[in-house]
Order: sequence, then structure tokens, then C-alpha cells
Amino acid sequence: MNNKFSKAVIKRLISSLITLFLLISLLFILIRISPGNPAQKFISPELSPEIAQKVAEDFKLNDPLPEQYLSFIGNLIQGDLGISYNYRMPVTLVVWEFLSFTLVIAAISFLVQIIVSYYLAVYTIQKQNKNTDNLISSLSLIFYSTPAFVIGVLLIYLLAVQVDLFPTSGFTSLDYDSLNYFEKLLDKIHHLILPLITLSIAGIALFYRYLRDNLEDIYHQTFIVQLRANGLNENTILRKHVIPNAIGPFISVAGIELGILLGGTLITEVIFSLPGMGRLTIDSILTRDYPLIIGCTFAAGLLMILTNFIADLLKLKIDKRLLRGNVI
Amino acid sequence: MKFKLKIWQFTSAIWLLIILLQFTRLTELAVLWFKYFSLLFNDFDGALTLLDFKFIDSLLSLIIFILTPLMLIVYHRRIRFLNHNLNFSSGVIIILLITFLMAQIITRGNPDFQKNLSVTKHLSPLSKVKVLHLKIEDSSEGNSLNKFLLYKRKILREVFNESIIYADSIGAITSDKILYHQKNIMKEIPADKLIKDNGEPLVTTKTFLLGTDEFGRDTFTRLVYGLRISLLVGIGAVFISFLLGITLGFIAGYKGGLIDMVLNRFAELLLAFPVIYLVVLILALFSSSLFAVVIVLGISGWMSLFKIVRGEVNSLKQKDYIQTSKLLGIKSNKILFREILPVIIAPVIVNLIFQFSNVILAESALSYLGLGTGDSYPSWGAMIQSGQEYITKAWWMIIFPGGCLVVTLFSANYFGRRLNKFFNPRLDI
Repeated sequence: MNNKFSKAVIKRLISSLITLFLLISLLFILIRISPGNPAQKFISPELSPEIAQKVAEDFKLNDPLPEQYLSFIGNLIQGDLGISYNYRMPVTLVVWEFLSFTLVIAAISFLVQIIVSYYLAVYTIQKQNKNTDNLISSLSLIFYSTPAFVIGVLLIYLLAVQVDLFPTSGFTSLDYDSLNYFEKLLDKIHHLILPLITLSIAGIALFYRYLRDNLEDIYHQTFIVQLRANGLNENTILRKHVIPNAIGPFISVAGIELGILLGGTLITEVIFSLPGMGRLTIDSILTRDYPLIIGCTFAAGLLMILTNFIADLLKLKIDKRLLRGNVI
Repeated sequence: MKFKLKIWQFTSAIWLLIILLQFTRLTELAVLWFKYFSLLFNDFDGALTLLDFKFIDSLLSLIIFILTPLMLIVYHRRIRFLNHNLNFSSGVIIILLITFLMAQIITRGNPDFQKNLSVTKHLSPLSKVKVLHLKIEDSSEGNSLNKFLLYKRKILREVFNESIIYADSIGAITSDKILYHQKNIMKEIPADKLIKDNGEPLVTTKTFLLGTDEFGRDTFTRLVYGLRISLLVGIGAVFISFLLGITLGFIAGYKGGLIDMVLNRFAELLLAFPVIYLVVLILALFSSSLFAVVIVLGISGWMSLFKIVRGEVNSLKQKDYIQTSKLLGIKSNKILFREILPVIIAPVIVNLIFQFSNVILAESALSYLGLGTGDSYPSWGAMIQSGQEYITKAWWMIIFPGGCLVVTLFSANYFGRRLNKFFNPRLDI
């Protein structure tokens, strides 16, 4: 059993590494076929030509393509992505600084999404075809098709402009430095409520629809009828048999949802001008800071591969059937 | 007995409504084109130089408008879609299609038209302004081409129009001059500069149905033209995704082996990747234009179609009729389009509709972020972005484009789900 498990883990690790390799290749191809001087993709054109020359040598931009490719991979693995135009710092450091915020807000939102959608789905499945069920189902379709920035801007309009409950943008108040530790925390939470709602609503709708459909599918299967005929009460059927069966595929959706979530944080950070990686990306594209854009994209891809790997492992832990078959 | 509106009846009703509301506009356009055709006999080369996109567009809208009832009469029994009962999403889709095809008829203005910013800036919905009509200097008498040009400029509004003045209110009208207010500033204009109507200077009232933005541009007109951009980007990008997904999926499923593995991994990478980062990267490395946005969104959306086609082809390729056609020496592309595509058309169409709504969402998100089509075209996302700056004083600048976006996306998603149910009746959604 343990042997099988480690085998499956290694299999997924290798497949993740292949994906990483493909990601790096994609980045390399995109950088090389785009117009402009390739040295500019690593260092600002405003710096002196000698430095540009040195960078071109460091990144082996004058060598033939295969060697360039190898050195590109080597540099990425070492975390060397060039120097940001705006921040005059290595890209890795800049991205690292902004990444933490994005990670925190994405993690909180992810938790909120899972908890809220889980309880909504379990609540509505017990009230099938009643008014509340229909209402929540159609609401979920509406929210699913509403773009995050529309929700965000409407929330700002309703709750920040009309009713002065929350701040319109930013992460800290103006008098932030004069507050004590507890007030600082409260201030940050106060600033994060609207972004979190904006970020979570689409995900809640998606998870809810998926989980709800899954639960309903399993309710219609014959073994549930069998259990009911055996005289189990509905609550036990739901808790012990329906939910555990529905939760497996849910995890792989959660892995994909993390990708959507990362895209969502990009938009949310721009709406509320929060200091995260998404706004860093948009700022850097508007100022043509190529090294930073490439760095952010690479970081996003890396995060994706990592989270999908973790989701795969979780699925292995929960669904033991995967160990038996040759499912990759 | 409950009467239920059919879709073709709804379309006819909208058609009649357009006639009622925009009758003058229709006659104007018809007269314009009548004049143009008579000009073609007088001055053929000169007339040909006048053809531009807007002009041809107006002719197309006119032709489609005239043909719509004929098509409805001929086809309303044959096309099944037209005989379904009307629901919210199909109604929205019909309205969107009509607006898309007949934008020139539905709205008179130009989406970028600006005039007298002090009067027209941030007007709330349904607010009215007075319009003073100036006489146009008729410099070239006799030349039929120039006369036609003047008439054309009157009908198809350009970005600039010197012949009108917007005013908040009109003061005293005397025999030789007229006083008018522009934001508390009193101005005057000699009466003989204005067009006379029954001896009195011609002053009309213009209503801005959905208000104006920070540059005094009409929100309604911008919404109509923004719809065009959204739908065009959607159609273009979905077409590219369709081609990519079908061909790559077919190659992967049909050939198998290493190509299949690499393509499949690649598709999985892109599926898991936060696509917006990729789109942003590509738009940053290459230039950002309408064309680039279409291509990038098309390239970033083929994966789900690829998965569907690959799976279907994988199971279909063992079937006898595919093997037979292969042995008969039929080329692969013919096998794809003649034998395989008709079998898998249902899931493909459903996927394309969902893809369409994804692309519209992505385009509006890009223009919200300021990376989209830029200021050269009106776009719903860009309208919301500029509305956010004036959120405290101009609610209409975000509510209307936002509402349009939500309704459009909801209808597309709902329509996709209905279609899915229609193709797979056993699927109980």
C-alpha cells in the first residue's frame, strides 16, 4: 500500500515536472518570437549600452538558440529573471514581496468559497425543488455569469459610496501608522471585506453548482434507494454515503478553480488597488516592464503547478480507488 | 387559455417597434441611399470614393431591416428555433442580434461624438439639452457630389459637427440675436446664423436616454457600438478556438503517440494556468490592438474543445466506418469534416457557446484593465473602468454597461445550458 502510494506520488511529480518544462518552453518561445531587442526583456533600455551588453552576455543572448534555451532554463531554476525596470531590483525579490499578499487573500477566499458553497449545497439538497432551492440555484447562475469587476464596482458603489460602510480602495487607512497593533489588524480586515466578497462570489457559484449537481447525481443512484429501503434515515444517508461520494471529484475542480482564483485576484487587486501580484503585473505592463511581466507570469504558472500537485495528492489520500487503477 | 409568445412573433414585434420609434431615421437612411444611387449615374468615380465602412454599414443595416420580415414570413415555420416559446435568454439574444446588425438604425449618433463639454459632461439619464442648429456654409453650389457630401454628413454623424450648439437653456430670443446659457455663462449668437423654421430660429430638444460620460459622449450610443465590439471579438476568437481545437484535437486523437501526449500535456497546462496572466504577457510582448486581442483570446480558449474532440475521436477511430473511409484512401481532413464532425457537433456547439461567453467576459475584463482595444473603440469594460473614477457622481456610467454585460453573459450561459439539455435529454440539469 505504502509502496503504491509513493509510486503514484512520483508519477504525479514527474508529470508536474513535465508541465513545468512545457511552461518554461512556452515562455522562452514567446519571448524569442516577440518583436524588439531580447536584451530588453531582462534589463531596461535606459541603462547604458555597456550594461545591456553585459546582460546579453550573462543571459547568453548572443549564443545559438539551443544554448540560449538551456541557459534560460538554468537561470529560471536559479531564480534569475533579470532586473525590473521600475524597482531597480532583481525580479524575483519584487515578485516575492508582492506575492505574499496575493497568496494570503487567495487562501482566505478559497476557504470562504469552499465552506460557503459546501453548506449551501448541503442545505439546498435537503430542500430539493422548493422555493429556496430554486432561488439559490438561479442566483448562482446569475453570479456565475457576472464578471468580478462588475460585482466589485457595484459593491463599491452600494456599500462604500451610498452607504459609507467600507473604504473604496487601498489596504491601509491614511492614519495607519498611528494605530496600535490590534487596530492595525482591524483596519486591514476592514479593508479586505469587499475584495474578499468580490473574489469569492464567482467561486462560490461555481463550487455550488458543481457540488450540487454531484450530490443530485448520487442521490439518483440505486445504492441510495437500497439504503433507504434498509431503513436508514435521510440524515445518515446524506452524511455517511452521499457527501463522501460527491467530495472526490470536487477536489480536482478545486485545483482548477485555484487557477481561476489567481486570475480573479488580478482583477480584484486592480479594482480595489491592493498591493498584490496582480496589480504588480498590470502596473508593469502599463510601464512596459518586461522582466517583471515575465516573472509574474512564471510565478503564476509555478503556483498553478504546485497547487494542482497538492490537489492531486489530496485526491490520492481521499479516493483510494485511484491507487488501484492506472489512472494518471 | 394561456397565450405564449413565440420567438418569431417577438422578433416581428421588435421590428415594428423600431419602425415606430425610428421612422425618421429609416427614411433618412433610405433617402441617403436613393441619392447615392442617383449620384452613381452622374459621377461614378466621385461616388465610389465616398464609400467607407460606416456608409456601407448603414446600407447593410437597411437591407437587413427590410429583409427581416420577409425572412420571418418565409422561414418561421421551418426553423425550429423561431417556433420555440420566448424566454428571457432567447429574448435577450434576439435583441442583441438586432442591435448588432442594425446599430445605425437604432441609434443616430456617433459613439465618439463630443460637443460643448461644459453642457454635456456627466448628464444623468433622461436629461434634456437644447440644440441650436447653425446654417451650414454652402460654398459650392451646383456640384452634386459636394451637395451629397453635405447631406451625408447630416445623416451619418461624424465625430465633429460644427453645425450644432448644445445649450442648457435658451434665454431671450430677439429679432437679431439669441441668448443661451452654457453652465451659467450667458452667450449670444446672431439670429441670422441659425436655420429658420417658420421665421423663428430652429431650437430642438435632445434627450440623452442613458446619460453621458465624462467627455459628453452618449452612453446609449456607446453601449450599442460597444456591443458590436464585444460580439465581433467573441465571434472572431471563438472561430480561432474552433479551428485550433478541432484540428489539434483531431491530430492528437487520430495520430496518438508522442504528438498526443505532448499536445495533451500542453492543453492541461493551459487549462490550469490562470489564462489572464498569459493573455497579459502576450499583449505586453506583442502590440495591443483589436486584432491582437481577438487572436490572443482565440489562442487561449481552445483547450476544452481540444479535450472534447480528442476524446471523441479516440473512441470513434476504431469504428468500422472510419476504418473503411481510411482504407478507401479518403484524406484526413475530409474524414474530419465529413465523417467525424457531424457526429460530435452537439457537444462542440455547446462548448462554443460557453466559450463565446468566456471570451466576451475576458474581453471586457481586459478593457477594464486598460489592456483591451484602447480608446479607439467603445467597449463595455472600458466604460465601467472610466465610470469607476466618477463613481460618486455618475452612477449611470457603471450601472448600464455593467447591466448589459451581466444580462448578455447570463443569456449566453443559460442558452448554452438549454442547448446542452436539448442535445442530451437524459442529462437532468
